[in-house]
Amino acid sequence: MSGQRESSETLARKDAPRLLSLLKEMKEGLDVVKSKVEAITVKVKQDKFRTAEGISYLEAKHLLLLSYCQSIVYYLLRKAKGLSIEGHPVVRNLVEIRLFLEKIRPIDKKLDYQIQKLTKAAEGGPDEIMTGDKKELNKSQTEEDPLKFRPNPDMLVSKSAPEEGAGGVYRPPKFAPTAMDDDDKISKEEKQALRREKALLQQSKQNSFVNELMSNFEDRPEEVREIVGAESRELTRYLAKREAKERQEEELFTRAPITRREKKLEKHMTKSRNGLLGMTDGFYDDVKMLPLEERENDGPTEYSAMERGGKRNKKRKVRVGNGSVPLTQTALVMYRCVFFYFFFSLSKHLLYSSDEVCC
Amino acid sequence: MADSKAVTLRTRKFMTNRLLSRRQFVIDVLHPGRANVSKSELKEKLASLYEVKDANCIFVFKFRTHFGGGKSTGFGLIYDNLDAAKKYEPKYRLIRNGLATKVEKSRKQMKERKNRAKKIRGVKKTKAGDAAKKK
Repeated sequence: MSGQRESSETLARKDAPRLLSLLKEMKEGLDVVKSKVEAITVKVKQDKFRTAEGISYLEAKHLLLLSYCQSIVYYLLRKAKGLSIEGHPVVRNLVEIRLFLEKIRPIDKKLDYQIQKLTKAAEGGPDEIMTGDKKELNKSQTEEDPLKFRPNPDMLVSKSAPEEGAGGVYRPPKFAPTAMDDDDKISKEEKQALRREKALLQQSKQNSFVNELMSNFEDRPEEVREIVGAESRELTRYLAKREAKERQEEELFTRAPITRREKKLEKHMTKSRNGLLGMTDGFYDDVKMLPLEERENDGPTEYSAMERGGKRNKKRKVRVGNGSVPLTQTALVMYRCVFFYFFFSLSKHLLYSSDEVCC
Repeated sequence: MADSKAVTLRTRKFMTNRLLSRRQFVIDVLHPGRANVSKSELKEKLASLYEVKDANCIFVFKFRTHFGGGKSTGFGLIYDNLDAAKKYEPKYRLIRNGLATKVEKSRKQMKERKNRAKKIRGVKKTKAGDAAKKK
């Protein structure tokens, strides 16, 4: 027994300074609260603040806090006097109230906005408040403040009411997401029919009979062009494009401005032997077999999309037969080959054309 | 200028534009062996072709030679009278035909004037004000 008493005494001596500081704090807090409460009670007694109707939630909260404080005080009293607190209902009370306060906290947060508005209203319009309800929102504040977030039924737009566009244009109401007409809806047959039409159009464009008909309609003068050798593919394409463009321009009675690239293309086309480029397309394949010395490996320059690259792709030009430079043996041989090829192809073409005429 | 070869004129897409009181068409000129046909020559030919009293009412423009030469295509307009022509034609074409003169505006002066006017607001941007500022 004496040991126990000694231990408790040592404990008491250790905790003594801490206890003292805590008690001091408590006393100070209590003094502050006391002074504030006294001031408020004086005012209430003078009928400056009406406490008849207020927010019941806040009232309940106040009561809870009060009882909590009372219980704490009683608890400390008992402890100070040295009475035991085991199993005393005070402890249970404390725990309960603490629990309630914890549970109230989220509600508190939610109501915070409303309470703020009310307090603002209370400060702003004392005349209305004097009449009674603090809960009445006063509309003296007309400017936009962020506390005016409440549902406004006037802003509702009816979905089904049709809106008349300017000039009586009907615009369908947009309230459900709609999908566009997708290509999957086009059946296979329809797709094939479309393709057939496209192919037919393409073929008819190249058909000479149809072209004759069209030129008759268009009221153009008849043109007979001499085609020597096979026209190179790029030239035919270029001409076709130009013709299409000119047709469009005549339709619209305007001219599209020529870009720098187009000018370059035209220059290239005119310079490259006036359309006879296709004649020597197969030339180098034939000449490769011949054992010629110092043959420069230059292919024909094609102005196609693949060959773009500016200065990188510039190939050296074959300069043969400049007046001052004497022709070399190889150049002579090459020229002979060219002539042979030319006559050969020409004769071939003549034979074929005659065949067509006969048929 | 002597034509070594014949020049053939042909008009296509002929349309009478009542709104602008004129006739408009596309012109095809065939001039094998020649580089280009001048606009004045074309105007004479058109005047004879369409029996136009006043050759000043004919305007030809936007001529382009086809690939390979020998043929060119352009547009032509014939107005009913000179007043309509002066009313509807753009300035540069009138100047080409000799119906108007080009006003030689010094570009620099114009820009300076504009910059001066930027500083004033409203109706005060009159010439008097500008002249005064010029000093």
